[in-house]
Amino acid sequence: MSAAGAPLVLVVEDSDAIRAAFTILLEESGYAVAAAATGAEAVRLAESRAPDLVLLDLGLPDIPGLDVLRRIKASPTTAPVPVVALTGRDDEVDRAALMAAGCAAYLVKPVDTQQLIRSIPGYIASS
Amino acid sequence: MPDLRLTIQGGHDAEARVREVLAREGFRIVDGSRPEDGALVVEADGHGHGPAARETARRIEELERTVLELRNLDVAKSQFLTNVSHELRTPLTAIVTYGEILRDGMLGEVSPRQREAIESMIGSCRQLLAMIEEILTYARTNAQAINLQPSAFALEEVIRSVYDMNASLIERKSLEFDSVLPPGLPRVHADRDKVAHVLGNLIGNAIDFTPDGGRVQVVARRSPVEAGWIEVGVEDTGIGIDPLHHELIFQEFAQVDASRARIHHGTGLGLAIAKQFVRLHGGRIWVESGLGEGSRFYFTLPSVDAAASPALAHDGRGAESAAA
Repeated sequence: MSAAGAPLVLVVEDSDAIRAAFTILLEESGYAVAAAATGAEAVRLAESRAPDLVLLDLGLPDIPGLDVLRRIKASPTTAPVPVVALTGRDDEVDRAALMAAGCAAYLVKPVDTQQLIRSIPGYIASS
Repeated sequence: MPDLRLTIQGGHDAEARVREVLAREGFRIVDGSRPEDGALVVEADGHGHGPAARETARRIEELERTVLELRNLDVAKSQFLTNVSHELRTPLTAIVTYGEILRDGMLGEVSPRQREAIESMIGSCRQLLAMIEEILTYARTNAQAINLQPSAFALEEVIRSVYDMNASLIERKSLEFDSVLPPGLPRVHADRDKVAHVLGNLIGNAIDFTPDGGRVQVVARRSPVEAGWIEVGVEDTGIGIDPLHHELIFQEFAQVDASRARIHHGTGLGLAIAKQFVRLHGGRIWVESGLGEGSRFYFTLPSVDAAASPALAHDGRGAESAAA
């Protein structure tokens, strides 16, 4: 939780423009936002900031998204944090592996922003 | 020393062709081995055919090299398409997301006309994304980088989801849409996303090419000719397709009529992708239609019965795609 008491969402996305758009979307919807552009940064911020939710783009430049998810789930501090995976439509994604690794949901980009905002309380409650 | 040493990488068909040519040219194969995965190394002897045999050998080697180069080039081309598509999608995704943020008044109040303009911008971006994704899918399937993830599911569910995606368009064109599935139809055993893609393309075409007030119907039944298979059809009351073009439309980038392509914009890849996906499942796809009499597209999928019994599953190579 951030100081203001708003739930903290960690946005993991390598595109600056998309990361900035998600930051605005979430902040305007009443969430605090931490942002990471790489998998390594995501794992570090998940540990240090203790977010209430992670939005994880699977196509990261350094570490495959599935491995980032596994690292978050492997650490006792971050394991309970719900992770929602994001990917392009038609990308070859092993959904079974994602779900087995503890992914809370799997969304296709560009996500319907209204629907995402409606779904977030449910994701957070699922932790 | 053999007169000829060839490395053949094209699989059974290429091997058979090379053997045939060698036999015709008077070569005798003295040795064949498979040192590498998939490739066959053949050594052959020209037996006194002398310079002529060596010249033939040289030409065959040259041709084989050319075939290999072309095949590598094709893979590189597909890889390039994949990369370009990825690069194009990222900024478009940002535009759509920002558009929705503006539309929903998060950055200040929006007038109804502004909202309409933003909606149109978002819609155009999503359309562009859909086309890019189609190209990406085609490139990947062409590079044979697609793995099926089969599961058992009821066709109704997929038809419903494809209908939901097209509901507003169907309503806007006042189309009658229904699906007719016999009770007790077995579930299919297939890659659900790929089946949704095939149905989405066929239903999308049916909607596009059917005038306002027309009818689009999805049908399914047990295949009358292949035990254990399900035949799925998308039938419309649209403009129809001349039998002359029934084969052409399943080829990539084919547009029957360039002027029509301007109205019914698309990549020209929808049916080529549908064909690739159906074939990956070992099934067939074909069309029955004539000008002015609507179109009826059909494809086959393995049912859970076929998946459970290998005897019922066929390899799908026997049947060609275009039947009139």
